[in-house]
Amino acid sequence: MALDELTREFLIESQEGLDRMERCLTELEERPQDAGLIGDIFRSVHTIKGTTGFLGFKRLEKLAHAGENLLGMLREGKLTADGPTTTGLLQLLDGLRSILKSIESEGSEGDGEDAVLIGRLEELQTPVHAHAKPAHARLGAYAVSARAAAPQDQLRPTPEAAPPAAKAPEPMPEAATPPPKAPGEAETEAGKPRAQAAGTAAESTLRVDVTLLNRMMNLVGELVLTRNQVLQATAADPNLTLLSRRLDMVTADLRESVMKARMQPVSNIFSKMPRIVRDLSQSLGRKVRLQMEGQETELDKSLLEAIKDPLTHAVRNSLDHGIEPPAVRQSAGKDPEGTLRLRAVQEGSHVVIEVSDDGAGIPVEKVRLKAIEKGLITAERASHLAERELLQLVFLPGFSTAAAVTNVSGRGVGMDVVRTNVEKIGGKVEIDSRQGKGTTLRLRIPLTLAIIPALIVRSVEQSFALPQGALSELVHVPPEQAAAAIEWMEGAPLYRLRGKLLPLVFLDRLLMPGSTHKLSTERDNFIAVLNADGRQFGLVVDGLADPEEIVVKPLSAVLKSIGLYSGATVLGNADLALILDPGSIALKAGVTMSSEDQTGRGAEEEAEDETTKSVEFLLVEVAERRAAVPLADVLRIEQLKVARIEYIGYRPVLNFEGQLLPVEDSGGVLAAVAGDPEAQIVVVVCREGARQVGIAVSHVLDVAAGADLFEAGTSARAGGVTLLKNRVTGVVDLGSVPPLPVEENAPGAWDQLANDRSEAVR
Amino acid sequence: MNNTDMAVNRREKAAATLVEMCSVRVGKAMFGVPITHILEIVGGARPQPVPLAPSFVGGLVHYRGDVLTTVSLRHLLDLPPHDGRQDILVLENSGGCFGLLVDAVGEVLTVSSADHEPNPSILDERRKALFAGAYKLKDCLLVMLDPERLDPMRLVGAQAA
Repeated sequence: MALDELTREFLIESQEGLDRMERCLTELEERPQDAGLIGDIFRSVHTIKGTTGFLGFKRLEKLAHAGENLLGMLREGKLTADGPTTTGLLQLLDGLRSILKSIESEGSEGDGEDAVLIGRLEELQTPVHAHAKPAHARLGAYAVSARAAAPQDQLRPTPEAAPPAAKAPEPMPEAATPPPKAPGEAETEAGKPRAQAAGTAAESTLRVDVTLLNRMMNLVGELVLTRNQVLQATAADPNLTLLSRRLDMVTADLRESVMKARMQPVSNIFSKMPRIVRDLSQSLGRKVRLQMEGQETELDKSLLEAIKDPLTHAVRNSLDHGIEPPAVRQSAGKDPEGTLRLRAVQEGSHVVIEVSDDGAGIPVEKVRLKAIEKGLITAERASHLAERELLQLVFLPGFSTAAAVTNVSGRGVGMDVVRTNVEKIGGKVEIDSRQGKGTTLRLRIPLTLAIIPALIVRSVEQSFALPQGALSELVHVPPEQAAAAIEWMEGAPLYRLRGKLLPLVFLDRLLMPGSTHKLSTERDNFIAVLNADGRQFGLVVDGLADPEEIVVKPLSAVLKSIGLYSGATVLGNADLALILDPGSIALKAGVTMSSEDQTGRGAEEEAEDETTKSVEFLLVEVAERRAAVPLADVLRIEQLKVARIEYIGYRPVLNFEGQLLPVEDSGGVLAAVAGDPEAQIVVVVCREGARQVGIAVSHVLDVAAGADLFEAGTSARAGGVTLLKNRVTGVVDLGSVPPLPVEENAPGAWDQLANDRSEAVR
Repeated sequence: MNNTDMAVNRREKAAATLVEMCSVRVGKAMFGVPITHILEIVGGARPQPVPLAPSFVGGLVHYRGDVLTTVSLRHLLDLPPHDGRQDILVLENSGGCFGLLVDAVGEVLTVSSADHEPNPSILDERRKALFAGAYKLKDCLLVMLDPERLDPMRLVGAQAA
């Protein structure tokens, strides 16, 4: 439906007016006597009424008229804005919005009936109601639970107050909070500067089409590349150096300005929250105070749109699952009014948005049970997980801890949607919760979608960009080790990454089927360890170039359908590079794992438990004998000079930044190299109960699964030995390492965790 | 060539309008593209190959801040690949922009619609699908290319069928 220019202008203006009205209404609940606020709301409705009459929208006019009457009485001080009045006004707001929506989509007002709402608005004007109301306010019978704490930064005039001019400076006289006895007077004081401020904001801003901004961004990208080439071409000519440097600077500034033009303050979405919190807390019977911080933090417009839903969802979750009903809070010794904090802050190239509440927190035990009940995880694996890992389970699809399904949340679509949406735009979600104290959900959003950090890799004589977000580490395989580093299992290439088998994908083989797919023994090889949707694999590339911030350019449909590339980019040297999509590579190469394998390590443990029941051991060589250390107990392997070993009496110890580690040397490794302080030894650092012990070994040989051995005749399981690689190998008894004559320094929680783990091993 | 096209031809013949064609050379043959479809001519480009792309894709080039997919006319005509730089016609059609990779771009010719003839029936099917008839010039034929038919997505469909 095509609308004429005038109507479209009217719609935009009215929507801005209503947005402003919504903000004012939530503030009004806190300061019901604030004449400035009432004046503002009145003006919004009045403007709509005035224009609709002119454009001939009868239904809208009638509704706005009814609202205006009520607001008029409030403005004149004949009524005070109490709970029911505010509710009525919010209903008016919704009514107006739905009609505007219908005009926008269908070009007509629709044929809804507003008589009930109009009747309600008229009812609110009756003096009986007006008389009763101060009492209400005092008794708190209609105590309003959602209150938007007036954010400090709103008091500051924000010059860039762009589109919704509503964000314009709102100088709110501090004195307005206590009920002024003469509201009429207060209005003239408070109302005037507001009106003026709004005027200047409108004059200094301009509406710009987003597509135009996108085009500008593209052209600036082009300019940057041309500049790079000009700089290269003129580098040799001293006459042009000054000019090209100027060009360089101006281009950089221009690029920054254009990017800035696409930025919008997060207040654009934060401002929707007071209303949501208010409505929800009323329907759920919660008392909630909403605090918002860092509303001026800016984010690219498209990203802002993308996080709107996840953020709303997180707020709903906090109210439904987080903050307890007032009675429960009181009995727990907390303030009956809960606090919900929304905070936005820029951290480097990311914006972090936190939603935190001081509610009940996430009951970790319940999460564990629920996850097992829903079959998202096996009981065995659940018992291995630490509290923090258990918390991450709430992000699994199909998870919801709400005891009952409510309108608000608990339908099983929840946090996984939040995570998916945030990850889609290259962000990350973290959750932190303390039982009884509250929950914090942290969304990390990149500043812009168009520019991402990437690692440039080389393969098939070409450059490719690998998004840093999916990259967890890089492994360098020197030419001489290439042949040994890779293992084959019936044609499937594997690499042992710290004892775990990592499936390998050869990029050259993937891109050019039929090419050789062995690690080259002539030059360096690199394995990029990637994490894509919970799948971990190594991508073998020929070479690495520097990491670069790349500008993502979309690909044409025909190339998108190949499914390997998520876009293309122009590198600093003006070369084109395709951007690899780790998820698609994993799919294409057949790297699959069940969806349970969200936490890679847990997954492997589970696989072992279920299939072979065997335990993995670290196979070490101690003075030409072989010994096994249970892998689950190994914390890390240190290679160090023998001179680092110190002695307490006759006992060797290792000083790790003030933490003493007893070193077990029953194999005589230290004695063997005692004469040479430069000699390298290997210390396997293990945990034994609550403490950590080191075992001096000559070499670490391998990681292998051990098989149980049984005593002939009795069939009793032999202790202290295991069958490793078909050889009977002694298992190092960590418990026999005598304790140090020092106080134990391992914290209690660690103790618990360590016990859990060693139980799992046995 | 379908009926509507022929109808258009007949009408054009009657009016004998003049059309401007950009001539391009691939191997020994000369082809024409209506200049109304050409956004820009990029000379001396070296497209970046795209592994696993359909074979007719000549690679990617950087064009005005965007990444442009090119179609290799040489490949479509079963000619051996060209080594060295090639020219690109940036064409616009309903689906967006793409580049047509040719050996060299020649001059703009003005031809009369009266000289247009549809594809001959003896032409093989693949070429019939690519060409839109020819203009009779004094000493040679100018084979017409229809940007719509060269659209990469359409070519993918044709290849699959």
